[in-house]
Amino acid sequence: MRKEFRLPDPGEGLTDADVVTWLVAVGDTVTVNQPVVEIETAKSLVELPSPWDGTVAALLVAEGANVQVGDPILAVEVADDAATGDAGSALVGGEAAGGAGEGESGGSVLVGYGSRQADPGRRRLRPRGVDAEGPATSSPAAVVPLAPAPQPAASAPQPADAAPAYDPDDPRVRAKPPVRKLARDLGIDLTALRGSGPGGIITRGDVLAYSNAAKPDTYAGYPGDEPWLTGGVVSPDGRRTRVPVRSVRRRTAEAMVSSAFTAPHVTVFATVDVTRTMELLARLKTDREFKDIHLTPLLFAMKALLIAVRRHPEINASWDDETQEIVYKHYINLGVAASTPRGLVVPNIKDAHRISLKELAQGLADLTAAARANKTTPADMSDGTITVTNVGVFGIDTGTPILNPGEAAILAFGAIRQMPWVVDGQVVPRHVTQLALSMDHRLVDGELGSRVLGDVARIMEDPAQAMVWS
Amino acid sequence: MTETETLQLLTPAGERIAPNPAVAHPATPEQIAAYAAELTLSDLRAAYRNMVRTRAFDREATSLQRQGELGLWVPSLGQEAAQVGSALAIPAADMIYPSYREHGVAEVRGLDLREIIPVFRGTRHGGWDPKAHNFHLYTFVIGAHTLHAVGHAMGLQQDRRRGIVDTADAVVVYFGDGATSQGDANEALVFASSAEAPVLFFLQNNHWAISVPTERQSRFPLANRADGFGIPHLRVDGNDVVACYAATRYALDHIAAGHGPFYIEAETYRMGAHTTSDDPTRYRTREEEAHWLARDPIARLRALLEADGVEPEFFAGVEAEGRELGASVRAFTRANTAGDFTEVFDHVYASPNAQVERERAAWDAYLSRGESR
Amino acid sequence: MNAPVVAHDRKGPAPHARPGTTAAGAAPSSGAAHASLPMAQAINAGLRAAMTRDESVILMGEDIGPLGGVFRVTDGLQRDFGADRVRDTPLAESGIVGTAIGMALAGYRPVVEIQFDGFIFPAFNQITTQLAKLTYRSQGDVRVPVVIRVPYGGDIGAIEHHSESPEALFAHTAGLRVVTPSTSADAFTMIQQAIASPDPVLFFEPKARYWSRGEIPATVDLTPDGVVAGLSRARTVQHGTDVTLAGYGPTVATLTKAAAAAAEDGISAEVLDLRSISPLDFDAVIESVRRTGRLVVAHEAAEYYGPGAELAARVAEACFYDLEAPVLRVGGFHTPYPANRHEHDHLPNLDRILDAIDRSLDY
Repeated sequence: MRKEFRLPDPGEGLTDADVVTWLVAVGDTVTVNQPVVEIETAKSLVELPSPWDGTVAALLVAEGANVQVGDPILAVEVADDAATGDAGSALVGGEAAGGAGEGESGGSVLVGYGSRQADPGRRRLRPRGVDAEGPATSSPAAVVPLAPAPQPAASAPQPADAAPAYDPDDPRVRAKPPVRKLARDLGIDLTALRGSGPGGIITRGDVLAYSNAAKPDTYAGYPGDEPWLTGGVVSPDGRRTRVPVRSVRRRTAEAMVSSAFTAPHVTVFATVDVTRTMELLARLKTDREFKDIHLTPLLFAMKALLIAVRRHPEINASWDDETQEIVYKHYINLGVAASTPRGLVVPNIKDAHRISLKELAQGLADLTAAARANKTTPADMSDGTITVTNVGVFGIDTGTPILNPGEAAILAFGAIRQMPWVVDGQVVPRHVTQLALSMDHRLVDGELGSRVLGDVARIMEDPAQAMVWS
Repeated sequence: MTETETLQLLTPAGERIAPNPAVAHPATPEQIAAYAAELTLSDLRAAYRNMVRTRAFDREATSLQRQGELGLWVPSLGQEAAQVGSALAIPAADMIYPSYREHGVAEVRGLDLREIIPVFRGTRHGGWDPKAHNFHLYTFVIGAHTLHAVGHAMGLQQDRRRGIVDTADAVVVYFGDGATSQGDANEALVFASSAEAPVLFFLQNNHWAISVPTERQSRFPLANRADGFGIPHLRVDGNDVVACYAATRYALDHIAAGHGPFYIEAETYRMGAHTTSDDPTRYRTREEEAHWLARDPIARLRALLEADGVEPEFFAGVEAEGRELGASVRAFTRANTAGDFTEVFDHVYASPNAQVERERAAWDAYLSRGESR
Repeated sequence: MNAPVVAHDRKGPAPHARPGTTAAGAAPSSGAAHASLPMAQAINAGLRAAMTRDESVILMGEDIGPLGGVFRVTDGLQRDFGADRVRDTPLAESGIVGTAIGMALAGYRPVVEIQFDGFIFPAFNQITTQLAKLTYRSQGDVRVPVVIRVPYGGDIGAIEHHSESPEALFAHTAGLRVVTPSTSADAFTMIQQAIASPDPVLFFEPKARYWSRGEIPATVDLTPDGVVAGLSRARTVQHGTDVTLAGYGPTVATLTKAAAAAAEDGISAEVLDLRSISPLDFDAVIESVRRTGRLVVAHEAAEYYGPGAELAARVAEACFYDLEAPVLRVGGFHTPYPANRHEHDHLPNLDRILDAIDRSLDY
């Protein structure tokens, strides 16, 4: 069998050598380790020994020629039963893994920098495009828990830095620095976007799409209309804008749905002559004690409701469907629906049943100011027991309010207007308003609700009644 | 090059001679002769066999490097007597710290010589378990291991103090003339002397540190340095296997008696290149090499054995064994491969390490990204 | 190891008879297990406990015997454990580390002291070419459980070479563990864990904190897993929401002060004590930065090629979508450590850290 001896790297990284002198000729018998050629490298003159026993078949390079490490220089005809020796003996060093016996020896397993093999298939770059913005598994190198450690997070295969699932409640914006800068340069608030990347990551494309979408020249409203939405993506034809449902709006929607479709709502109405309340209001406005207090009719509606609830405490409760219990509360946290730039919030005045009218007024003022400044806290909005909603401030007569979840009744207080009313058989102009009470009919029957509303109406019709009922 | 007096018991022609009293100091000629006499004819035949096997191994490895099977080889050619002679005198329990050329010591210690191949083939570092034959791994930072040997000897001392009886008597460290200039080699003498540690410093002065002759390391005999540290020494003819044996025996008895460290300088010659990357024709003469060829350690022992009536079949048999060893080394080398790349992450630490594990996982992830297309 | 002395028929002096198991009596009780100790004494207590527990633990270094070390960290140990186990060495750092390697190869657990950070360099060869690589070179056959204790860091008004922070040079060398306590509790615990570890450990002791007091725990986890965790994990000093401050050794106290100052301005900072420089506890830092979105790293070592650079690179990769600001580092300058009159501004002091927090929050 013909074997070829390739030029080895004769000294730690040398790349080529000159053939100086052949020490054998074609047809010569050679024994293993017999010097066959003298070569000259950058470092020295070296004799190369034959790797095999055999007969010289060909001198592949002429004297004086320069050869690269790995080029064949000599062909030797070797007997086919060339012994492999005891290659497989039990030694450390991994000989079992390698080629069998001599195999492709004499140049194929060259060490150092020799043996120019054909380039193994080069790794190809991944096609980029659709998932370009996603982080994919880009850096599992970054975080892998210590495998044998006693720490709980020990299952290695999940890189701990993989993007977590999209969490719509997560107020943090996730975006690469260049994307953040782009958004800042374009004046875009990233919190208004929903990212299309994994885990809600906002991509450059998301920002640009949003930015393009906001361009006014495609706005399809009336001629001269300017875009009036602060967020959302305008459709290319300018006829629709999509705004992601977030934070307050989403919470409101959830509350309304949970309330409306769980509690059977019934609403009872009363039309009330509140002239005497208005007179009381006017009188208190000049009262020194109420000098710095902002007094409104709403305040009296709230106070009337508090007194009514005290007379009918069963309405100050909630229905616990899970435990099949009605939870009666021995305190009144009186909620007041407030309209804010961010949407509807319902903060409540804690323990409203124990405070004076003046304190109630102060509480209402504080609550209103906070809501206007978007500073209403979750604590302010929690644990309400009954609510008042002032539709009258919009000039509306009445409505069928939806219960605040967790409560059993809600009072709608309408606009007060001068209307013809019959007093002592005469038709006279009086201040008239409409009150509406929605109730959770699981625990509040029509009679209870009606009595409560009736009491509220009675007090507002004649505030002196409060003296009788307190 | 200077030739200074060294302890010699066997001339280059293979004739036994009596030890020179001046050179035998601090031993007496009688002591030296007594140690030499421990070597029976059978022992000398065994020593010859060890030396020839060492040379055959060395020759084969050199050829393999020239054939591209090894990236590098460090030849022991010419130093067989210093290595085999001294090693035969060292009890198996004594730990030996070689430099990186002591294939003859490995042979005497009973290593399978093929275990030395992988580190030069580049398939792994190290190559054998030091505890298997009390033969430490080769250390390629010149002289660094001398401190390890001294520390090991200090450990033996501590064993003694703690009453541990089955502890060894000494540690032996081999190093070359170039190493004697290294700070670590000198600090080793400081610490050995300060602690009176049971360590034998065995210097093979083979006259060349790559291309730098010994004279550049020192203007006077290297063994004299030991005096400066308060350590007794002997200078021996490193190509005389009998003298190397006797001197080592003397030194080890000195150490075992609790007299502290000892220093032997064996003057020999590096008949090959420093390594196969080296070209000695650039810095030394053929005349010098011829001078030392005439002092070949194996030739002189053969002459002695022949004069003592050893039969030709013995020599032929040893030659044949050498050729078989060569073939075995050849076959082993050509089949020797490294394992999968992931083995590079093993044994960086002796306990689990978060960074290594992280990187191992990153490598796996890299591979799987390549596979998924 | 083995039984005590029996008759011995070799030439030479009979070995000293010594009891083979428990330490000679004078070791003071560690009843002060909960005591508030300065860090130097906490390390002393840790060494004492390790030496009592394991006879193969040997201390070596310059001036560690009767003097008890220039910082008194080894005070009293030679008196109690004997000159065989607490050895004053010749003045040669390479020799100290090299012979320690040899002792480890002979089965001992040497704990050597390099007297000052700036003098470790003669031993750099032994540490990086030998100590770090022997286990790897031998494919696990050989272990070198050597601990190298190094007082490091500045802020003590010292002269040249006595205020260095060379930890990055060793962290960059595979095969070494590099740790540094910031409290007495960690000093007490980690020195014992370092000694128990089968790996070589560089134990950097912040000399500016040698006299800071702290409680030490009653027990130390010396199980193999406990040792690995104890030498690898960071510690959250305090939680926060706006920015993560990460540091180690002497800088932890400064970061804690910076967090307090920032709190006065309404900024909630989380403070992490890294404790281990190699391996770095990336998981802990990444988890924190995912919550805060900002990271400031502080160390006395130069910022340029310092440990903070490694942390910053890793965090930038893992927290790319979470970062509100780039990772900022506060450290020494790319100059030799200055004359001590200037060291205050060379080091990551309170003002420089607060400035970094400000810059981070400006993004």
